[in-house]
Amino acid sequence: MNQVIRLPVADPGTPPLTSPTAYLTWVARGQRRTLVLAVCFGIVWLVSQALFPAVMGKAIDQGIIGRDPRALLTWCLILVGLVAISALSGRFRHKYSVLNWMQGAFRSAQLIGHQAADTGESLTRAVPTGDVVATVSSDAMRIGGLYDVFARFVGSVVSYVVVALILLRASTPLGLVVLIGVPVLVGCLAFIVRPLQTRQLAQREEAGKLIGLGADTVAGLRVLRGIGGEHTFLKRYAVQSQSVRQVGNQVAGYQATLDAAQILLPGIFVLIVVWLGARFAVEGQITAGQLVAFYGYTAFLVIPLRTATEMVDRATRAHIGAGKLIKILAVTPDQSEPSQPRPLPQHPQQLIDPTSGAVFEAGCFTVVVSARPEESAALADRLGRFGAADTDARFDGTRVADAPLAELRRRIVVSETDPRLFTGPLREGLDPHGEHDDATILAALSVASGDDVLEALPGGLDNEVEERGRAFSGGQRQRLALTRALLTEAEVLVLVEPTSAVDAHTEARIASRLSAARAGRTTVVMSASPLLLDQADQVVYLQEGRVVAAGAHRRLMAELPAYRRTVTRGEDD
Amino acid sequence: MSLTSEPSSRSLPVSDMASVRKHTRDLFVRHRSSLLRVVGLHAVAAVAALVAPRVIGLLVDEISGGRSLNRVNTLALWIAAAVVMQTVVTWFARRASFVMGETIFAELREQFMGRVVELPLSTVERAGTGDLVSRTTNDVEALSRVIRFGIPSIFVGAVTTVITVVAALLTDAAVALAIVVGIPMLWASTRRYLRYAPDGYLRERATYAVLNGVVTESSEGARTVDALGLGGRRRRRMDDALSDCYDAEVYTLGLRLRWFPSVEFAFFAPVAVTLLWGGWLISRDLATAGTVTAVALYVQQMAGPLDELISWLDEIQIGATSLARVIGIADVPADRAPTGETPTDDHLTVDNVHYAYRSGRDVLRGVSLDLRPGERLAIVGPSGAGKSTLGRLMAGIDGPREGRVGVGGVRLVDLELAQLRGQVALVTQEHHVFVGTLEDNLRLARPEASREQLWEALTAVDARDWAEHLPAGLDTTVGSGNHRLTDPQAQQLALARLVLADPHTLVLDEATSLLDPRAARHLERSLAAVVDGRTVVAIAHRLMTAHDADRVCVVEDGRISEIGSHEELLAADGAYASLWRSWRDEPRDAPANAR
Repeated sequence: MNQVIRLPVADPGTPPLTSPTAYLTWVARGQRRTLVLAVCFGIVWLVSQALFPAVMGKAIDQGIIGRDPRALLTWCLILVGLVAISALSGRFRHKYSVLNWMQGAFRSAQLIGHQAADTGESLTRAVPTGDVVATVSSDAMRIGGLYDVFARFVGSVVSYVVVALILLRASTPLGLVVLIGVPVLVGCLAFIVRPLQTRQLAQREEAGKLIGLGADTVAGLRVLRGIGGEHTFLKRYAVQSQSVRQVGNQVAGYQATLDAAQILLPGIFVLIVVWLGARFAVEGQITAGQLVAFYGYTAFLVIPLRTATEMVDRATRAHIGAGKLIKILAVTPDQSEPSQPRPLPQHPQQLIDPTSGAVFEAGCFTVVVSARPEESAALADRLGRFGAADTDARFDGTRVADAPLAELRRRIVVSETDPRLFTGPLREGLDPHGEHDDATILAALSVASGDDVLEALPGGLDNEVEERGRAFSGGQRQRLALTRALLTEAEVLVLVEPTSAVDAHTEARIASRLSAARAGRTTVVMSASPLLLDQADQVVYLQEGRVVAAGAHRRLMAELPAYRRTVTRGEDD
Repeated sequence: MSLTSEPSSRSLPVSDMASVRKHTRDLFVRHRSSLLRVVGLHAVAAVAALVAPRVIGLLVDEISGGRSLNRVNTLALWIAAAVVMQTVVTWFARRASFVMGETIFAELREQFMGRVVELPLSTVERAGTGDLVSRTTNDVEALSRVIRFGIPSIFVGAVTTVITVVAALLTDAAVALAIVVGIPMLWASTRRYLRYAPDGYLRERATYAVLNGVVTESSEGARTVDALGLGGRRRRRMDDALSDCYDAEVYTLGLRLRWFPSVEFAFFAPVAVTLLWGGWLISRDLATAGTVTAVALYVQQMAGPLDELISWLDEIQIGATSLARVIGIADVPADRAPTGETPTDDHLTVDNVHYAYRSGRDVLRGVSLDLRPGERLAIVGPSGAGKSTLGRLMAGIDGPREGRVGVGGVRLVDLELAQLRGQVALVTQEHHVFVGTLEDNLRLARPEASREQLWEALTAVDARDWAEHLPAGLDTTVGSGNHRLTDPQAQQLALARLVLADPHTLVLDEATSLLDPRAARHLERSLAAVVDGRTVVAIAHRLMTAHDADRVCVVEDGRISEIGSHEELLAADGAYASLWRSWRDEPRDAPANAR
């Protein structure tokens, strides 16, 4: 297939988010060339089919009833030619319709994918991940569906007009029956489509619940098989499965009604046209062949009728889909570029957080201890300018809020409590920007005590990480994330609870290697682990979010009972 | 009778095509009465649909014969009657076929789930749930359309086509011979298409799965993406995934573009051939204009059912691959063959056990352990030392490659699953909160428990306080999409289930790791009070757990390097002692680097 377009496009553009219709129009405008091509071929395709009966009628009149072999051959060849035109134009119609579908769907999916990549955690807070994924897996595809059916719809309208005109020329009443009848029938069918859509929605909801139950049962299968209760859950699944079937049986009634209506309504049409046509034919107003043609036209009109019904259905779904899409695209990142960015000082002496009163000396290894881990996590957010809250943290005299965001992210790296891994080769996962050689990566991995993780992987650094790194245990993921954070070689590295999921042996190793690896650079660790505290140049102790003491770990242990209790985790109780 | 486990097979089996065919055949046989009704009703509807073309043919003969309006009115009444009949019968036929589809599909998914919950414990633990979840959701859903719409359509299309051909033959067998011209073309192009199409569509499905995965990761890892400046990479990854989807789509589009024109040509070109052939027969007085017209209209009308029939063939083939994965679950062999022996006491022993996930690489190398009934044993050691593997063997989930793990003189793998659960249970850090009420979540461990017992179990794990503050107490609906329990709460719930299940030996693998250290310690103490007299094996990374235990067992590199009480190990001054000191921050001279 010669490539008309290549997807995805380099830049999906900026759509209007004012209304679903505005969005759908914007998408259509972006692909008008293929839309026009599809419509042209769609018209040729359906009009050529609409003309089959006319040619058949001529062949019957002149060739069969008139017993003229030459005329029969001629009209039959014309019919074959018409079939060929229809087949070929149908081919191109399909090609451009699929391209239209893909452009609409992929562009929408791309916008969502980029939005998820650019918006940070404000998106996760506003919309659950499941909904974001559903916009790509179903809403974007439904939006595409509108542009797919569009060419057939326009072809249907044109072929309907052509048939009506042919009939009008032959007989005014017959022409009028068709001209008025078709829109009336579409209206009737739309009446049935609505309640059917409602029932289908109900069934999809029930089926969604069932799938949820199934996934839930399977996800907890280790519990069920280990402790028991599987038969309770099987029964629960069966009950929901039967309720999906019940709702499905209701849908069956409506669907059967729509199908039967699509027989009855055109059937009435056929009846009227054939009956009137036969009377005209007996009276000699039209020929037998024309009667056959009339029958053929009415039988053909089923196609435009169904396509119009489909158009109603798809347009509704696309509109709903576009609404959901807009909701996600409208989410803005927490932190935006300051209007007048001021660069951070080149060699700052201190990193200061006035909210808590914490001061971090450049080049020091500082550990922040708090009885409530969320308070030290909030401090990390302020230093790195994360979350929706304002921050007054500063580098010497320059507020981080005034710094260009990209520079800030490069110079202060905050590794949160639950950092995520991504699919791809492990090397890329550890060193996403491709800045280091293998020796450096292995050295960092060793600092994070992750050598054994690597050893267990058959492909070493080239090993593919599965989705979300789910093949690794919690402790392994944490050590890999720590390696990744170390490899940023950031001027300021803020690690939030970096060893919460590893065992004491491993934690001891990490603690001893970490301070050496970061020597001379600023490192802030949020943790209450004695193993890490023992390595700190400086310890900052928070209570109620404020610094109440700072100094050497050993001194605080000796002098401050509250600090001692926090660090020894209540073992003296 | 040695039960050598096959730990290498991490994935679940997929049935071969012969079993898929047999399964489908059995399904049809089981549902033959509703299948016959659906096919019969559609056959009647198909016959009614044949009236109009036949009447047109008769009218053509009438008109050329110059007959009366009465005859026309009578024939029009035929059409009216046929339309009414076709409408009514179609309603019943369609309804019956949708209902049949729903019934078969419900039966299939329930059967599948029935097999899933019977899967051997070791398979579930080892294969993980990713593949199973994808079979439960993606594959079952992929089958939904094929079973509910595809299979009825195939039967209906076939029946209608056959009846139309028969009607054409009955109208005029000689004229109807023209039908055959379309067949070779249809056959050849469709065969070619079907040879490549299923793989193409499977590839499409795989690319969309990757696409959804990329969006999931970007959304869930949004904070990491922001913090490490990965936005550009994530955008590129999205574009790459879309590009793969595009390539897969363009490939199948290409297949269809080669196929569609020949199909359409094969549907309609025979109409012209029928007319030509009919004209020749008429010139020999072997047919009438009316019969030729009727047959030509039949041929044209056949396009509908034929299209319905063949347009499902590709989806049916793809459905077969999903079915193979769904019914493949039944091929998982049982992991235990109960001998019927009954343990004589509650004494659990591990005797010179070896275990390997990959042959030649033993994770456990000669571990022996004698659990004293009622003791609290803590297992500590570095990551990857084999602690969790040992825990799984002690809980009877896997059998050792060499050596034995037994209770009361019976090997754990020789016990019935139900019996094993009464002896020993394992709780790991991988918890799960089921969608349902808190009560449902607890009761699965002991269905006959009273509400007081449920509250007692919650009290034992320090969970009574938050459980009482839930919007509806025990009746609060929890789990995905409902009231969210925090990770520590979920872990407490898992432990409460264990309290209710009440086996004599409990294996806790990092079972309190998500609680904050102080809460974890408090929980461990209240739990100890409740399960007093039970043997507790706690695999832990917190040294406080070891400190509180009766005995501490240090596992390093697949072996037990030290075992004894906390005090004994401190006195022995080995690896545990040095770790403890650095952790407790006591004498400075102990090397922080424990190894």
